[in-house]
Amino acid sequence: MQQFFHRGPSTYVPEHVQPSASESGPNRIKLKASIDAANLTDMWDMILTLDYGVSDVKDLSFEKRDEFLNVMSLLLKAFDK
Amino acid sequence: MLNRPDTVFSEIGTQAIEQGLADPKLSAFYDHVMSIDCDDNPQQHLKPFLPHLSLCSDRMFNTAPPPIFYVGQDSCQRYLFGDDWASPEQPSSALRTPDPELELASAEGYRNALNGQPYYGYARASVSVNGISYEVAFERLIMAVRPTLQSQKRFCAFFGVIQDLHRKF
Repeated sequence: MQQFFHRGPSTYVPEHVQPSASESGPNRIKLKASIDAANLTDMWDMILTLDYGVSDVKDLSFEKRDEFLNVMSLLLKAFDK
Repeated sequence: MLNRPDTVFSEIGTQAIEQGLADPKLSAFYDHVMSIDCDDNPQQHLKPFLPHLSLCSDRMFNTAPPPIFYVGQDSCQRYLFGDDWASPEQPSSALRTPDPELELASAEGYRNALNGQPYYGYARASVSVNGISYEVAFERLIMAVRPTLQSQKRFCAFFGVIQDLHRKF
């Protein structure tokens, strides 16, 4: 008897695979744009370089990237008018 | 019997640091920041001390100190208030000291620092953390710094050193 699968094999995500960066990508880009618009790019670069030891946020692990973006979200709120 | 107020925030002045009376690590941070000149990269001076610092903006609203955006891994605020407060997941608002009384009492030091005068002082206060009361005594240095010499923005760097911490019953 023929079986029909509603989801193809390509949709299967093993548990050990971390979430795709594309999920956080748009938010990251939007947050960076807001940081730049608020003239806070120097702060972004300073914390990324000094604390996280990289010059590009893409070089961070998923966990560290989330942590850094949370700090940047706080940065934006702290300088909000 | 000694009759003392519950909360004391007293400015000592940075001359005490220069006379060697302050915590050595705090003193080293002060020396590094004060030695930044026009050819320097301020970030190289900040780097060794960043884990001990809390950073906040230059925006003071009414009587409140500026909101915090970064709490170093070894900072006294993280030690006192915990990782959940210091590193919130998906923060919905700016970070503020969880004890409102401590928050208000600490504001003067930030105001001085933002007016161009580094603030060094001693504080003793009762704080409430997760419903538990503590008495904490600490020295604190607050300096206004720019991430680069050309930067339009300043931030306040807070270096606190806890001298005594015990639970109140």
